[in-house]
Amino acid sequence: MEQLKQELKEALIEALNLEDITPDEIEDGAPLFGAQGLGLDSIDALEIILLLERRYGIRIENPSEGKAIFYSVDTLTAYIEANRKP
Amino acid sequence: MTRQPPVYINSAASIHPPLDGVGECLPGKCLTAVEPDYKRLIPDATLRRRMSRIVRMGVAAGQACLQDAAGVSPEAILTATGMGCLADTEKFMNSLLDGDEERLTPTAFIQSTFNTVGAQLALLNGNQSYNTTYVHRTFSFESALLDALLLIREREAVDVLAGAMDEQTPTLYTVLQRLGCWKRAMAGEGAAFFLLSGRRTDGTLAILQDVELFSGDYGEQAIRERMERFLLAHDAAGARTLYPADYKRFCGEYPTAASFALWYACRELREAEGKRPVLVYNAFLDAHSFILLKPV
Repeated sequence: MEQLKQELKEALIEALNLEDITPDEIEDGAPLFGAQGLGLDSIDALEIILLLERRYGIRIENPSEGKAIFYSVDTLTAYIEANRKP
Repeated sequence: MTRQPPVYINSAASIHPPLDGVGECLPGKCLTAVEPDYKRLIPDATLRRRMSRIVRMGVAAGQACLQDAAGVSPEAILTATGMGCLADTEKFMNSLLDGDEERLTPTAFIQSTFNTVGAQLALLNGNQSYNTTYVHRTFSFESALLDALLLIREREAVDVLAGAMDEQTPTLYTVLQRLGCWKRAMAGEGAAFFLLSGRRTDGTLAILQDVELFSGDYGEQAIRERMERFLLAHDAAGARTLYPADYKRFCGEYPTAASFALWYACRELREAEGKRPVLVYNAFLDAHSFILLKPV
């Protein structure tokens, strides 16, 4: 799980071009979206959806789940663990 | 003939390879621009992180130009590019191929359009005025300048921000090398912006007298004769001419290299004693242009 979190943080930094941010600076439980977290927005959400599809073969079928899944690195990691294709 | 009102260049900003000629991205092959600290010119981190290199260079040059002319809100923003946001276009096209036309990322597509820089400058400055991007290969920048001249001379606008940007990528370098485009100058890149105005200020750098474009298979003699006629028509027979070799040794070859040449000419006019007019002559393959500057 810890390895997946680290991998996910690195993938987020690369996909979203998060300048000046290292994986260590992204808190596992902190919100990814909005002013309190990393400040991501709807375009970033699209990038994350594509990241999940390309990297882990996960397709989010129900868009209403997105808010909870994308809340933090913790929630994203748990979703990937439960749904990733072998 | 009615005398045309002067068009002043009130500020100029350029991002270009180092003038000491040591900025090579591919050693011996390509001159690369020295980029500034973008945080000062583009403070919004979210906006900045989505911008590709060429967009940052263009937006930063435009912002620097506007900052030099503090308080001016241009009535037109004109941008020019020969190849557009090439790195993002390549990224988008590659993801199109790799993903079998599915699962395309939005950011590279959004940022790969030719008018990205003009649009970002308008958004950053809350500017809702006339906004146009010229993409006419080697004539792109000169076309933007002509539009600016017309807008100011016909009193459609007082202040016009006009500039150009082009970037070099390894793919572009290789393709153009195969076409023999780097025989006369090294590959280069850069972004330069100018605030043109019908109003002279304390910071005015030069007068933009005229721009002329022509294409065809012209020999050296024919170019010289055309140049003489152009200078005589503008009462500038004693002008110093900046030939491509004079400035492309600094900026390299790229479709909008004339924008660097204009910045370089403004700098020369400001620093030189004697104050002769300066003619910028640009040429690439069969496309030629003259840009005439006069001292204030």
